[in-house]
Amino acid sequence: MKRVLAESTSARGNVQPSPRSAKKLKLDNNAYKNGRTPLKTANGSFNSSQPKSQFEEEVLEKMSQDIEGLKKNNTERDQQWQRPPLDGFNEIRDSLCFQQIEAEEGVLHGGKATVKLFGVTQTGHSVLLHVTHFLHYFYVAAPVGFQKHDCDPYRMYLEGEYSKQFSNHGAAIASVQMTMKENMYGFQGNQKSPYLKITVTDPKVINRVRRTVQDGLANYKQLWKLQEGGILTFDNIQYVLRFMIDTKIAGMSWVEAPAGKYRMINPRDRHSNCQIEASVHFADLIAHPADGEWAKMAPLRVLSFDIECAGRKGIFPEAKVDPVIQIANVVTRYGEDKPFVRNVFCLDTCSPIVATKIFDFAEEREMLSKWRDFLEEVDPDVIIGYNISNFDFPYLLDRAEHLKIPKFPFWSRLKTVASKAVATNFSSKQMGNRDTKATNTNGRLQLDLLQLVQRDYQLRSYTLNAVCAHFLKEQKEDVHHSMITALHNGDANSRRRLAVYCLKDAYLPQRLLDKLMCLVNYTEMARVTGVPFNYLLARGQQVKFISQLFRKALEQSLVIPDLSNQASEDQYEGATVIEPKRGYYDVPVATLDFASLYPSIMQAHNLCYTTLLNKQSVEKLNLKKDDDYIVTPNGDLFCTTKVRKGLLSMILEELLGARKKAKRELAVETDPFKKAVLNGRQLALKISANSVYGITGATVGKLPCLAIASSTTSYGRQMIERTKEEVEKKYCIANGYSHDAEVIYGDTDSVMVKFGTTELAKAMELGQEAAEFVSGKFIKPIKLEFEKVYFPYLLINKKRYAGLYWTNPDKYDKMDSKGIETVRRDNCRLVQNVIETSLRMLLIDRDVIGAQEFVKETISDLLQNKVDLSNLVITKALTKSSDKDGKDGGYTAKQAHVELAERMKKRDAGSAPGLGDRVAYVIVKGAAGSKNFEKSEDPEYVLEHNLPIDTKYYLENQLAKPLGRIFEPILGEKKASQLLTGEHTRSISVAAPTMGGLMKFAKKTQTCMGCKKPLMSVTEKDGAVCENCRPRIGELYQKTLSKVSELEVRFARLWTQCQRCQGSIHCEVICSSRDCPIYYMRMKARKDVEDGGKELVRFDRDAALW
Amino acid sequence: MLEARLEQASLLKKVVDAIKDLVQDCNFDCNDSGIALQAMDNSHVALVSMMLRSDAFSPFRCDRNIALGINLGSLTKVLRAAQNDDNLTLKAEDAPDVVNLVFESVDSDRISEYDIKLMDIDQEHLGIPETEYAATISMPSAEFQRICRDLSALSESVSIECSKEGVKFNCQGDIGSGSVQLRSRTDVEKPATNVEIDMTEPVALTFSLKYLVNFCKASGLSDQVKLCLSNEVPLLVEYSLGNGGYLRFYLAPKIGDEE
Repeated sequence: MKRVLAESTSARGNVQPSPRSAKKLKLDNNAYKNGRTPLKTANGSFNSSQPKSQFEEEVLEKMSQDIEGLKKNNTERDQQWQRPPLDGFNEIRDSLCFQQIEAEEGVLHGGKATVKLFGVTQTGHSVLLHVTHFLHYFYVAAPVGFQKHDCDPYRMYLEGEYSKQFSNHGAAIASVQMTMKENMYGFQGNQKSPYLKITVTDPKVINRVRRTVQDGLANYKQLWKLQEGGILTFDNIQYVLRFMIDTKIAGMSWVEAPAGKYRMINPRDRHSNCQIEASVHFADLIAHPADGEWAKMAPLRVLSFDIECAGRKGIFPEAKVDPVIQIANVVTRYGEDKPFVRNVFCLDTCSPIVATKIFDFAEEREMLSKWRDFLEEVDPDVIIGYNISNFDFPYLLDRAEHLKIPKFPFWSRLKTVASKAVATNFSSKQMGNRDTKATNTNGRLQLDLLQLVQRDYQLRSYTLNAVCAHFLKEQKEDVHHSMITALHNGDANSRRRLAVYCLKDAYLPQRLLDKLMCLVNYTEMARVTGVPFNYLLARGQQVKFISQLFRKALEQSLVIPDLSNQASEDQYEGATVIEPKRGYYDVPVATLDFASLYPSIMQAHNLCYTTLLNKQSVEKLNLKKDDDYIVTPNGDLFCTTKVRKGLLSMILEELLGARKKAKRELAVETDPFKKAVLNGRQLALKISANSVYGITGATVGKLPCLAIASSTTSYGRQMIERTKEEVEKKYCIANGYSHDAEVIYGDTDSVMVKFGTTELAKAMELGQEAAEFVSGKFIKPIKLEFEKVYFPYLLINKKRYAGLYWTNPDKYDKMDSKGIETVRRDNCRLVQNVIETSLRMLLIDRDVIGAQEFVKETISDLLQNKVDLSNLVITKALTKSSDKDGKDGGYTAKQAHVELAERMKKRDAGSAPGLGDRVAYVIVKGAAGSKNFEKSEDPEYVLEHNLPIDTKYYLENQLAKPLGRIFEPILGEKKASQLLTGEHTRSISVAAPTMGGLMKFAKKTQTCMGCKKPLMSVTEKDGAVCENCRPRIGELYQKTLSKVSELEVRFARLWTQCQRCQGSIHCEVICSSRDCPIYYMRMKARKDVEDGGKELVRFDRDAALW
Repeated sequence: MLEARLEQASLLKKVVDAIKDLVQDCNFDCNDSGIALQAMDNSHVALVSMMLRSDAFSPFRCDRNIALGINLGSLTKVLRAAQNDDNLTLKAEDAPDVVNLVFESVDSDRISEYDIKLMDIDQEHLGIPETEYAATISMPSAEFQRICRDLSALSESVSIECSKEGVKFNCQGDIGSGSVQLRSRTDVEKPATNVEIDMTEPVALTFSLKYLVNFCKASGLSDQVKLCLSNEVPLLVEYSLGNGGYLRFYLAPKIGDEE
């Protein structure tokens, strides 16, 4: 027990702000130089004194066994880095077919613009294909009087004006052609009109040429009438996208250069270190649509890595000072479930790790250069990691620059292009504002799992540990940075422990990637929308839609106007919400949903750019109302499908059709990898379909069209109202039904109907029938679907409800809750647990009394200080920075987490949370009348000093409202309020802190363990009980003893739990993960045992015994 | 079994009023010598210690030790129902769930009776050991209250300096500074206005005015207040409750720049 209690977690860190703090290590440089052990024969010696950790045993050894079975070789040494050799590849005989992963602009043979396609063949060879001769162009409407034969003179004229304008010499305009096209924006009466296609020689000049035309500076023969805003040009899109659209290449799809059509590039002239480098004319390139055979994935090499660097105490690692001490790498081929390369590059010696190659270096420069060589040799297609974009990449680059390793930053596939970290600010409505750093690795994709998870999932904490716990249901030990330092400064064995930790950090992103199927899903998104993979991460939503729109427009010879970006303040009405009839429903409530509401409205009513009409065009084209055109509830005019079918409606039809197909294939597919691909595809299709509406409503976007957006929502509103009417009209007693149906709530695309029947099966039947009945009233493809029944159902407010979710009458599927504290992040876990459990008891067990009892018990535990601290931690993101003086925060009102961050900075600047981190805090008791922001405190600080928790705050500000919302509809107001004030609240416990002004002086007076009387007299002072309670001493001793042994068992269990988690039963626990509930529990248990022990000792001194 | 009768309800009313802002829930420890209360405020800067000796009650009966855990907020509500000069009787069983309060009007036959549900308060019992103080000042409690109130308008803390000349209350604030000096004086006619300084060595300490102002709410309990100071030891502010009873406040000194 003694050893256990001596746990050395006194090194107090603060709230784990982000994964990066795990990277703050400390290294005492001198100690490292002098204390270096000369043990260099690490690879051969297996007599490590450390027991193997679970991670090693279960994960790494398994790998070795498998591979050993195949190769009969030493798995530590014989890991094959290179790609398979390029034997027998013949450019005359073999066609070059590969999956392209990235496309970028480039030049070949000094000048000619090309598109570089990077990719991998089925056999795992890396390819760079230069696609030549593709020229960029744009359109402008031909003015009246412009004749075919004017094309050439106009080209000369434009060329002249352009070179005058920009004093540029050399041909900029390749050609001017006259073609028949149609403007996409607005209905044109199905008439094509002449447009000029202006092709430029170099994509770099296109914007300047476009500007020349736009501004009317090349007004040939004064044919254009100048107007405000300039002359409208069409088809403004990037070169690479233009190329991909015109050649019908989608992102991450397969392309083929037929044998004999491409030319290999002379090794001397190669731009890259790809195995195959060739050039091809763009017209000879075959794009394979991602269907059937071509839905496959090439064996992409995925490198996952993690670095550890040695920071100084209290300071965030700076590349100029703090060395990188370890780099762990794991390389996996896509489709294989085990990495084929596992190694750790470390500074100083390191004992061997099973199935892992260790490279130890005496010098950091050497280690870094060797790591780069490794990177080039293993030639990964995708580089992943956790927080690599913002930490690992820039840190390595800066460090190498500081150490002057000139060769180091060449990570890209292009020989001459060095990787550079550039600070970027990414802001989008979906993701909010984010400062990031971007490092170019041309030809290699990057996936930062941290960014990915932050973007796609809402979690309480985004540390690697928390994310893994959430998705993989597995914890990793979180080594406090001061501990890492100690480990590194130890011997080869302790560094081995660090290496295992580092390796695990490198391996987990890979597992996350597999689990979340990011690569597959993003690949499918790229294929569906047709944009390169990188765009999906680096750019917003619009580019995906734009790419689809251009593709479709090209098919129909439509041109898309280049509308200048004018942000308009116009707001339009959103979706409708039927006022909820709040309450607790103990009868089945059926939910009727419109399937893909907005896409189906756009299809049904033919809402599109191409069908948009105005009054003038209606008159001009002599259209008939309702027959040829419709007026939307919003007052906009669109022509019907009879006149012209909308482009959007075609895109949507295709997307939804493709989704149906993917789903059908998914149902019959058995191969798990193909299944993953298909599932990813149907998801991507669904998202794309739903985003179409969003783009038309985005006023700052490229193609805003409020007429479409507001018409869509107005139809949506109308339909919800109509559904309500129809259902209530049909299902009533007057029509022979047993009850009057009632729509109790409706939101955007769903209505909740109480049919009145108490039978589940009956409600489902009615729901099904009603859905069909109402669907019949609307135009196809609008479809009302009966999806589920809630029974029972608790409707609290708009967008706040909970219920038991049934899809078949025999068994419920799950408990569903929306907008209730269970999912929100700005309250403590206690609230979440209490609400979830009581909902469960109320809805599933139908145990109202039990639920009340449970709530009471929890509250009483809270008041008696029995609740685990981790349950009381609240986290909030620190989003705005304070200015340099640290005085005036970006926040106007003082907030608890901001104030705490400031205070923590004063205590220890190094571990205090930084901007963008989530700050964890608990509310402690403060002086009378102090504000909440004065009472916030770091959970660890609270544990250490035994500060009393402000239970009242938790009761009144955290629990009261959500509990009231849930219980009031069921119990009524009066009874619900008793939950918070009843008998159970009369037992409280107040912790005595070890700090605070008076604690230095105060002396604790023992109280009698029987009756709480302070023991003042000399005879009683050190004892356990007072005179009066003396007869009870036996009973009280028994009680205390059993309590202490219970606590001891509890602590021992927690301790072994943590040992198991860290994977070594014989080592001390060094984990200090602040995301882990067990951590707090363990700390608390340790304290409890200590206190209990003290209490027990009092009996020894009690006078009654002697 | 506890039974304690107070001639004047106002005594308990004033005591509870004086401490309810510092302490929310606390145990009243009752034994044969009287009723005692000891509790620290939430931020652990001040400590309240109250002692009502059995002589203050007539009759007083307490067979064995009883701890009454009372929410002072609830107690205040109940005490509001009592007139200042009502007789007040506290009653409780040996292992009580409730404490019973009876108010008897002196001039009429009105008897009102209230029960307060008790709480089980698990709290460490902390006390400040008795020490010899370097300086003890007795002064009119109204005077002390006025000084604290006046100076709190300027600053958050006050330094109390005790020297041969007398006692000086000094504060520095953003808008300016202020000081009040008192010399010892004796007025035989009105002993309530006496200022007595008993000093063995000079003392200078700084305290939070917020707390001192809070302590001063007890001014109504006694004409005189006693301040006891020693360097680097908490300040003791004592109001006598008669019959050897007292209401004491301890306040930790401010050290250095610490807030």
